Amino acid sequence: MTVQKSHFVCVVCPIGCEIDVVHEDSEILSMEGQKCDKSEEYVRQELLEPMRILTTTVRIRGARWPVIPVRTDGPVPKRLFPRLMRQLKRIELQAPVDMLDVVVSDIAGTDANIVATRSMPQER
Amino acid sequence: MEVDVAVIGSGPAGLTAAIHARGSGARSVVLLEREEELGGILKQCIHNGFGLEQFKQDYTGPEYAERLIRDLEETDVQCFLNTLVTDLSPDRVITALSPEHGAIEISAGSIVLGMGCRERARGSIGIPGTRPAGIFTAGVAQRFVNIDGYLPGRRIVILGSGDIGLIMARRLTLEGARVIGVYEIMGYPSGLKRNIVQCLDDFDIPLHLSHTATGITGKERVEGVTISKVDSDLRAVKGTEQLITCDTLLLSVGLIPENELSQQAGVEISAATKGPVSTETMATSVPGVYTCGNVATVFDIVDHVAQTGATAGASAARYVGGRLNGDVPHVDIVPGENVRLLFPHRYSFQGDLLLFIRAAEPVEKPVTVEVSPPGSRITRPYARPNEMLRVRIPGAKLAEVRHPLKVSIREK
Repeated sequence: MTVQKSHFVCVVCPIGCEIDVVHEDSEILSMEGQKCDKSEEYVRQELLEPMRILTTTVRIRGARWPVIPVRTDGPVPKRLFPRLMRQLKRIELQAPVDMLDVVVSDIAGTDANIVATRSMPQER
Repeated sequence: MEVDVAVIGSGPAGLTAAIHARGSGARSVVLLEREEELGGILKQCIHNGFGLEQFKQDYTGPEYAERLIRDLEETDVQCFLNTLVTDLSPDRVITALSPEHGAIEISAGSIVLGMGCRERARGSIGIPGTRPAGIFTAGVAQRFVNIDGYLPGRRIVILGSGDIGLIMARRLTLEGARVIGVYEIMGYPSGLKRNIVQCLDDFDIPLHLSHTATGITGKERVEGVTISKVDSDLRAVKGTEQLITCDTLLLSVGLIPENELSQQAGVEISAATKGPVSTETMATSVPGVYTCGNVATVFDIVDHVAQTGATAGASAARYVGGRLNGDVPHVDIVPGENVRLLFPHRYSFQGDLLLFIRAAEPVEKPVTVEVSPPGSRITRPYARPNEMLRVRIPGAKLAEVRHPLKVSIREK
C-alpha cells in the first residue's frame, strides 16, 4: 500500500472542477479543488473502477441504413470497452428494431444490456 | 398550397418549432425536410449527453430526436420529406422540390427558419499543400461512421478542438483507428470540458494547444500533415514544424449558420453571429419570418437550440393569429466588456429577455453579468468562451428602457 497523488476533472456537472486527491489505493485520504460534495463520490468511483456509458453502432439487415446506433443501458467498466466492441462487431440485427429494444442482454457479465437508440423499420 | 406556419428544417429546432406553432394556435403547420428522415444532425450524434436540462435525461442524439418526432406525430403537422426548399420570397412564398410532389409552392402566414449550420472546411482556414483524398470535416466523418457504417481512415490527425472533433476522436478510437492527436490553434480548447475528459483523456489522446496545421502532403491520399506551434498572434513559428504521418485529417474548426435561404427572403444578417438579426421573440428583420437553433446563432447544447425553437414556433403562431406585430419598437443589445457574442440582437418589449452570451476571454472564477440599462446583475460561477452563458431579464424590468442594453462580463 502506497500513498499516491492523482488529478481528476469532475464531470458530474458542467463546471468541471479540477481536483487533486491524495489516496491509498481507492481510499481517499484528502482532496481539494471541488466546489460541492458530488465530486467525492465521482472521485471514489474513478479510483475504484471508472464507469462509462458505451455508445456505438451494430450492423443491421433489411433497414434503410447498414448500421443502427446502440448503447449500454447503464454505466459499465471503461476497461471493458475493447471487449464489448469486439463482441458487438460480431452481431448483425434484422429490421425492424424499436428504440430501446434489448440487442444483447447482460453483455460480458456487466449486468448491462445493449439497447437500440433509435427505431429502424423494415425497408421493402 | 396555403398554410398558417411553414417550418424549414426538422432538426431539434425545427421539430420543436413545429410542435409549438401548432400548440400555440396555428391551424395548419407544415414541416419541410430535405433528407429522407426527420431529426437533422441528431441522427448521427449517437453519443449521450443530450437533453440533460430539458428532459432531465441523458439521451443519445437519436433518442432525443425520436422523442421529439413522437411528440410531433401526436399533432397534425404535415411533414414533407426529401423536400428541398429552393426559394423563399420576402412575402413568405416557399418554392420547394420533391420526388413525390414535384415542384410545390407554399404560401405561409409565417415562416420559421430552422436550417441549422455548416462546418467550416479547409478553404475557410487556408491550409497550404496538396489536395489529396482523406481530408474531411469532423461531421462528415461522423456521418460515414455512424450512419453509413465505414471508417474514413486508420491513422488520424484532428485539427481543431470543437466538440464534434472530440467526439469523433473517441468514436474512431473505439472503432479501431489510431487518433494521433488533436491540435488547437488557441491557447484553450473550444469544446466542452466534459468532452475533453471523456473523449480525449479517457483514451489517452493528446491535446496540443497553440498548434496548427501548416501543410498537407500526399498525392492521391493524405500521407502526412505538418504541424507548427503558433505565437501569441496565432502565427506559425518557423522552425517548430513537425511532419506527422497519417492517412486522414479531420477538421473541427467551427460552424457557420446556413443562411442562403434567409438572404433570399431579404433577412438582415448579423456580422457578429452570422445569423439573422433577431429579437427575443426570434423575429428576423422581415415581418412574419422567425429563426431558431443553429441557423440563428451556433449554440453549444441542444437544450438551447430547442428552447429557441419553442419560442420561434409560438411567435410564428401568434403572428398569424394577429397577436404579434411584425413591426414593433425595439432597442439594440450591444456587447460591452469581455463579450464576444450576444443573442438575440434586439429587445422588442414582448416579455422576458432570454440572453445568450459568449465571453471573449475565459474567467475561471465567479463573474457578474451586467445588463445595463436596467442595471441587472447576475452571478455565474465562471465564464468560458466555449460555454454560452444564459440569463433571463424579466420583462417588467425592461418596460421603461429607451437606450441600447449593454452587456458586460466582469470578475466578481
